[in-house]
Amino acid sequence: MAQKTGLQTDEKALIRAAQAGDQDAFSQLVRAYDQSVLRLAMNLLRSPEDAQDVYQEAFLRVYRNLNSFRFDCSFHTWLYRIVTNLCLDHMRKRKVRKEESSQVEGSDGPVDRMDTLQESRAEGDPARSLLTGELRERIDKALSELTARERMVFELRHYQGLRLRNIGEILGTTEEAAKNCLFRATQKMRVALGDFV
Amino acid sequence: MNTCEKVRMQLSMLLYGELSFDEEEVVDAHLESCAECRTALDRERELHAAFDQAEIESPASVLWESRQNLQRQIAAEHVPAHRVSWWDQFLDARWLQSAGALALLSIGFFGARLAPNLGLGITGMSLVDPGAQRVRSVEPGPNGGVQIVLDETRQRTVSGDLDDQNIRVLLLSAAKDPSDPGLRYETVGILNDRAQAAEVRDTLIYALEHDENAGVRLKAMDGLRPFVQQPEVRKALSGVLLSDGNPGMRTQAIDLLTKGVGESSNGLDRDVIGTLQELMNRENNAYVRQRGERVLQLVNASQETY
Repeated sequence: MAQKTGLQTDEKALIRAAQAGDQDAFSQLVRAYDQSVLRLAMNLLRSPEDAQDVYQEAFLRVYRNLNSFRFDCSFHTWLYRIVTNLCLDHMRKRKVRKEESSQVEGSDGPVDRMDTLQESRAEGDPARSLLTGELRERIDKALSELTARERMVFELRHYQGLRLRNIGEILGTTEEAAKNCLFRATQKMRVALGDFV
Repeated sequence: MNTCEKVRMQLSMLLYGELSFDEEEVVDAHLESCAECRTALDRERELHAAFDQAEIESPASVLWESRQNLQRQIAAEHVPAHRVSWWDQFLDARWLQSAGALALLSIGFFGARLAPNLGLGITGMSLVDPGAQRVRSVEPGPNGGVQIVLDETRQRTVSGDLDDQNIRVLLLSAAKDPSDPGLRYETVGILNDRAQAAEVRDTLIYALEHDENAGVRLKAMDGLRPFVQQPEVRKALSGVLLSDGNPGMRTQAIDLLTKGVGESSNGLDRDVIGTLQELMNRENNAYVRQRGERVLQLVNASQETY
């Protein structure tokens, strides 16, 4: 607990320093959060290009508006409000575009852009390339059929490990509403995968 | 809705730890007396485990590209006068931390830059651009002077041959930089070309065993591939088999440790067989199990630990 308080104090000091123009402090703030921001955007949008767009836009907004941050909430919550809003915008636009698929047509048939990226850039996470076949397809399909908000709450709770109370704060709703949203999301996932798992 | 139905609707929230104290009490009490609902809870756990597998790990290179793109955008938007941009410092800090090269400068109180008109020299390096440096601490020095510790954050480009010892030291350090998986990934990729050197191999083994990013670990494994017959590499690969959380890494480790088995008269050493048998006792991933079982069958070994 003492350690957590210490971290919070350190972060406050960093934010105040960054607000005062200390650029090293700002860089430390970016580095503290940018990996989880990118992971969140990548998981939600399933597109490295869109995830990178969200990354750029989110940290540019933080850079431009840091002086307006008044410690009414934690920096993490403030940053995640920006990131989740950007992701929700992307997801809604995509819905309008009739659920754009992450698959593109390659010379040997359909290719998943995530797979292409990982093979060409970092040889990726081998676990993902191994998680082939029906289970992965079913999970991806089930996820894509959730509403944008259900998808967001599920992502923040299951993969990011945030508490529902914090998720409600980030999304500007109550803990109870976030819980209902998560409940609907897991119900849909269970129905979609129930006979498989 | 009967009690079983009510409880089953709450199982997911139970696993997330999002039930109130009272709700959890009711669910726990019911689970103790209802075998069917306990089975349903096991299925719910399996479902959650399946969700886990669908998570995408961001490749380190994407993070690196994102940082570089952000750097460009920030630089285009705002370059403060007389100051090094924070992004330069961002890169400096990374580079310098990687190199363990925080420059600690001892200077006299009347440093040439601080009091140029006095014409007094300083001990150590000159303060060419105070904006690129930061005072970390000050303390009284001998003869009424003062000792100032500066963190120098100037960006510096160093180039040289991979066999140059100074370059090598920087690379070996960068390969362990905990703050930047993109940097570690690129560095390990470069070091792979010099894996014949023991110190490089040690660093690759360290990355294989300890790096939190699977992309970096996989890259390190690639570099160690030609040295798979060396005992320390085999030991590290055995460790991967038994403790790496990534099934892809475990599969690759099986392939490397058992390369050539089943072809001609190639056998398998007893240690690897033992490791594979131990793996069979604990492996949950069906694909990895299948690979392990196939190898054990090829060498006519049992699936169980001796």
